[in-house]
Amino acid sequence: MTADLTKAELDPDAAHGAIEYCYAQGWSDGLPLVPATRPLMARFLATTRRSPDEVIGRLPQLDRSVTVELAAINAVMAGCLPEYFPVVLATWDALMLERSTTGGGWQSTSGPAPLIVVNGPARAELGINAAGGVFGPGFRPNATIPRAIGLMVRNAYGIHPHELEQATQGLPGRWSICLAENEEESPWPPLAAEAGLPPGTSAVSATLLRTCEFVDNRHTSSAEHLLADFADTIGRSGAWIFRHASAGIVFCPEHAQLLAGGGFDRAAVRAFLADRSGRSTAELAGVGKDYCDDNGVRGPGSRDTEAGPDSGGFQRMLPGSEPQNLLVAVAGARNAGISMVVRLFGGWSGTAIPVSGT
Amino acid sequence: MPNAILDPTGRADVAKASSPGLMLAPRRPDLSGLQVGLMDNTKHNAALLLAEIGKLLAAEQGATVTVEATKANFAAPAPAELVERYREACDVVITGVGDCGSCSASAVADGIGFEQAGLPAAVICSDAFVVTADAMAELRGAPGYHYLRTAHPVAVLTTDQVRQRAKQLLPEVVATLTEPGRRDG
Repeated sequence: MTADLTKAELDPDAAHGAIEYCYAQGWSDGLPLVPATRPLMARFLATTRRSPDEVIGRLPQLDRSVTVELAAINAVMAGCLPEYFPVVLATWDALMLERSTTGGGWQSTSGPAPLIVVNGPARAELGINAAGGVFGPGFRPNATIPRAIGLMVRNAYGIHPHELEQATQGLPGRWSICLAENEEESPWPPLAAEAGLPPGTSAVSATLLRTCEFVDNRHTSSAEHLLADFADTIGRSGAWIFRHASAGIVFCPEHAQLLAGGGFDRAAVRAFLADRSGRSTAELAGVGKDYCDDNGVRGPGSRDTEAGPDSGGFQRMLPGSEPQNLLVAVAGARNAGISMVVRLFGGWSGTAIPVSGT
Repeated sequence: MPNAILDPTGRADVAKASSPGLMLAPRRPDLSGLQVGLMDNTKHNAALLLAEIGKLLAAEQGATVTVEATKANFAAPAPAELVERYREACDVVITGVGDCGSCSASAVADGIGFEQAGLPAAVICSDAFVVTADAMAELRGAPGYHYLRTAHPVAVLTTDQVRQRAKQLLPEVVATLTEPGRRDG
């Protein structure tokens, strides 16, 4: 195995040939792949008690499935280390709880990106970045774990761009958003604890995103100012296509601490934002999204004669104030008031999956 | 001897089967007296477009619309019970609109499923999704499966424009559901 070779014994030309072979098979997402071999795959499989033959995902409409073994091969190819593999499996399981991943989500015109949040000791053990530059790049587990998921979708499900994958534009960060929660600088319990797991559990929470957009606010000491700024970004009409839309926030430590100092825990943050994020019916009418049809799809009220505004003067964007409607995590450096609003493709399952090894 | 490079698709052992192709359900020469099923997939304007086509078939071809149902999950092919409902109550089925990444593919899968159940089917897809619709046809062992293509976008059309589309599509709907060469019968 490569790891056992001395520098002089490494053969870059052979490596290059193997990488090009993988490109030629159509296996790559565009970047070079690590060619997978049986001994390397075995090291990945040795990190889990699960059977290599276990089917962990199935798309009946395509008659394709993912096994633990195929997950291992794709994780090898993504550049993961063997010890990342239990996190890859937990991520996949967490994503399988999202309705869209067992339906048409991976084929969607919206081209959604997994958001992967890791809690617990696995963060430090694997070196998953929780601090500066947490949305990447620069850290091997942060970059390769989501890439493994993307390769599983591409290779095991056979969903390729321009074919069964119909993303209109896709989004920056697809297959590259994996972050550890900055539990050490968060004023709140870990996200996985909010999802019901005992604190200190290594676990993965995951959902699908339509995009991320920053909120930069570093000159107020008022929690209410800050939350009003988030409410404005969350409520913007462009992200709103159905009756309601769910969102999330990855708070930087500074914002989270300011909010906690103002008396806001996660539930209070969600309650404030559920109430305040939205637009007036008049504003929504101005963009042709004031009315919901029978399928819950927004359009102009004028397009059907019987249509009218359905929620008085102000329409709330979030479907409610539950964790499923507004995922709240903390990550990043404590050096500025810059946080990220994330747009959920559907809702979040609200469930964290424990990382289980051998 | 170096280690072999592993295949990540799980299909290394699956030979590219030379598909015998799809046997279409038997067609009548015309639609007169036939019972028509409409299956909309919840995409905006789909139900309206199908209903308009149904009205035209009744008025101009002497057919009767007997089932107008909705496939609730546009991303997946129709469940067996739903296919059975059409099989029991209809002679032909029209479905659509394939107007998104997953629903175009699954609309084609539905058309193939109806044909296999013995029901001639006309599937309507937006022409922006031809590649994924064709990919599904190939996946289902029916490369080159014929479906109707209508200009993208469909979702933004007004009611009058949808009626116009229905008129435009009608001759091809009839041709698709009847035996070639006797479409005007």
